Amino acid sequence: MNPLLAQFLAEANDLLASVDAGLLQLERDPGDPELVNQVFRAAHTFKGSSGLFDFPELTRLTHAAEDLLEAVRGGRLPLDSAMADDLLATFDLIRGWLAHVTTHERLPSGAGTDAAGLITRLRAPLGGEPRAAVQASSTGGITTIGGAPDWLAWFDAEWLTATASWLDITSSTMRFVRYVPEADCFFRAEDPIHLVRQVPALDRLGIVQPATWPEPGEYDEYVCLLSFVIATRAAIGELEHLFRYVPEQVQIVELDAGAITRHVSGEPPLKAEERVTVVVAEVRDSEQAADARAVLHAARRTFELHPVEGAHLRSVARAVSAAARALGVPKDLTDADQPRVREAVDFLLAEATPAPLGAAPAATAVPITPAEPAEPAEPAEPAEAAEAEPSGRADEHGGQVGTRVLKVDQEKVDRLMELVGELNVAKNGLTFLADAAEEEFGSRVLSRRIKDQYAGLHRIAEELQSGVMDIRMLPISVAFGRFPRLVRDLSRRLGKTVELHTEGDDTMADKDVIEALVDPLVHLVRNSLDHGIETAEQRQAAGKNPAARLTLAAVADGDAVLVEVSDDGRGVDPERVRRTAYEKGLISEDQRESLSDSEAIDLVFRPGFSTAEEISDLSGRGVGMDAVRASVEKLGGTVTMRSKLGQGASTRLRLPLSMAVTQVMVVSVAGQRFGIPVDLVVETVRVPAAEMGRVLHQDVVVLRGDVVPVLDLARLLEMPSRDEGADRAILVVTVNGQRAGLIVEQFHREVDVILKPMEGLLAYADEFSGTALLGDGLVLLVLNMKEVLGLAARTA
Amino acid sequence: MPLELHDDTATLVGVVTVDEVEQLVGWLRAARKPKVSLRRCNHLHTGALQALLLFKPKISAAPNNAFLAAQVLPLLDSSQRNRR
Repeated sequence: MNPLLAQFLAEANDLLASVDAGLLQLERDPGDPELVNQVFRAAHTFKGSSGLFDFPELTRLTHAAEDLLEAVRGGRLPLDSAMADDLLATFDLIRGWLAHVTTHERLPSGAGTDAAGLITRLRAPLGGEPRAAVQASSTGGITTIGGAPDWLAWFDAEWLTATASWLDITSSTMRFVRYVPEADCFFRAEDPIHLVRQVPALDRLGIVQPATWPEPGEYDEYVCLLSFVIATRAAIGELEHLFRYVPEQVQIVELDAGAITRHVSGEPPLKAEERVTVVVAEVRDSEQAADARAVLHAARRTFELHPVEGAHLRSVARAVSAAARALGVPKDLTDADQPRVREAVDFLLAEATPAPLGAAPAATAVPITPAEPAEPAEPAEPAEAAEAEPSGRADEHGGQVGTRVLKVDQEKVDRLMELVGELNVAKNGLTFLADAAEEEFGSRVLSRRIKDQYAGLHRIAEELQSGVMDIRMLPISVAFGRFPRLVRDLSRRLGKTVELHTEGDDTMADKDVIEALVDPLVHLVRNSLDHGIETAEQRQAAGKNPAARLTLAAVADGDAVLVEVSDDGRGVDPERVRRTAYEKGLISEDQRESLSDSEAIDLVFRPGFSTAEEISDLSGRGVGMDAVRASVEKLGGTVTMRSKLGQGASTRLRLPLSMAVTQVMVVSVAGQRFGIPVDLVVETVRVPAAEMGRVLHQDVVVLRGDVVPVLDLARLLEMPSRDEGADRAILVVTVNGQRAGLIVEQFHREVDVILKPMEGLLAYADEFSGTALLGDGLVLLVLNMKEVLGLAARTA
Repeated sequence: MPLELHDDTATLVGVVTVDEVEQLVGWLRAARKPKVSLRRCNHLHTGALQALLLFKPKISAAPNNAFLAAQVLPLLDSSQRNRR
């Protein structure tokens, strides 16, 4: 199913529920303006969304309900219980339709007729529709009348006579359409001729020109002055479908030879009211009538087979009254006993069967052929017909609207996540217990069994965790969704032509990550539009496509998601960045000389840096890029920028898929344990003390030909450091693209922890990104490596 | 481009949409002896047809499109005849 439709159905369910509740309350407390508003808003939303799909009946019906509610809301009309009944019936009908849509992706076939009656009832308190009388005898608002209308005169008499004799010989009918488009229809993107061209089996087309044309000087080319008369052999159903969006501008008549001859010979056409009701129903919708007859036949058979009473009788009576309504001969059969219902069935069948009608038209001289001969639409086995499309009858309520979607409070999911974290901690406790069993109680067997238990528990906990994380996962398209509009608006304002492309829309990431991603992305996109992308003239001068290309791409990368914003604009000029950074005092003269191009580009993320010569209101007050880096790093991610001068720039964000659980490596320093995010860890090595080197004042170690500076973590954290021992345990990490080695006392395991930020008295301690509880009850301090290395640089 | 406009001659090509109507009317207003070729025209927006009916330019070439040739051209030609 189309995702939009699926979403509409899911929302519709909620809307319907709120409308129902609102209406019921409103009945009890009719004066409450807030309740009226609530129901009105729901109806309004409904109408708006239904317009997205090809459900004209739904739109028309909700429109009528909305108009009534609007009047109630405006105080022009007090809501009485009859209106409330009609409104409730309307939304019940809609619920039935949507259940049908859920399974068949279209409205039930009788939707038009079902809606027409309700629309008339809804409009009645508002003074009815101007065309209410005609509407009542029409299907889905399209006027189908039986007598030859005046406008038939447009066709030349010769053709009409020839056609009439042909229709007489073949005892068939033809459909004639009068289509008068509204004067302002061009503004609604309607093209009447285009519609007319699609009329199937078009026999004659008359393009009716206005009697007097306006003077060329005063002519308004956007006012539609033309109208159309059409003669076609297409069925009424086809025509109604074709003109379903402009029903009020169309008149459809079905004429036989008699009616045309009468017209040609100048006899007045018979008035619509003179026709027999049943015949109107036939012309109106023979399929509907056939359904009704099927119901009646089934009812008669039921009576023939065995006596019917109680609830069964009531349901049969209801079905019969519905069929009676459909045939245009309303019969109230509530609480009727069996003989009365049976009588009604017989009466209706006699009325509705087309055969006797052969006589009726002769007597009353009805100018139309007696419907379809011998009930072509009636199925051989009525009972089967009822089963063929179970939800075809719109007033059934059994179906499910939308897919089964649970709306869960986010807090509940968060709570679940927290519990998973606790479970992880409790689970980790088992490994300590296993160690204790072996070391303190000397039972290796018990230790092994505890470890087995731990393995099972671990698997379940992991699955539970990924299940809960899955609930929180959203596609990245949620974050990308707002950009088409943003890019369009901004590029208009800046006078640039930009095409936005998105890739990897369905990459999934945690809800928190997606939400936190939006702001940095907005910054980056704005920056790109404002500074990166040139105007069309500049681009043409540079030999590029005048339309710039801005790409938002996302791709999953293990535990992380990579999001890239790239453009093919002018790129970043490293020389200009160096100069600006130097002028702003961000780098020293030496650095200006020594920085490589990529290092220079990285300077744009420094606080207080902005290269735009003039500050625009879009971006660039020197807060943009460093704010991006800060907020991404807060999420535990990284930002890097690559650029080719003149060819474009791309900024890459790397974010963890989820922020709930962090994997840390536990190391101990001076007897105390610390955690280091595994993401940053490159490798762990043991290096003989003799291989440690010293360059200037910095300890270094040579690893596979690379010189890596080494820091003593104990000294950095102002703890006693011990230099004894032959080997040094070195943990190599990479922070902001720079590698560094940390001397630690001992490596421990990796653990999954739930990181709690530093709060209260410890909030000032920037060198820690948070605390986590370990399985053995110890509190683990997790290091913020960026700050720790910064500390080292400052103290050095 | 569905409209190829010259001083007194115009060629309508492909599908003439509502977007072209204003331009076409402007040209019809300005041209002294407008001549329009419909040979390669596949569809005329109602607004464009209406303009042709009002300004009655000479149709220099009949449309190849069957619908336009059968249903629309006679109107334009007959208006031509009435004028003469």
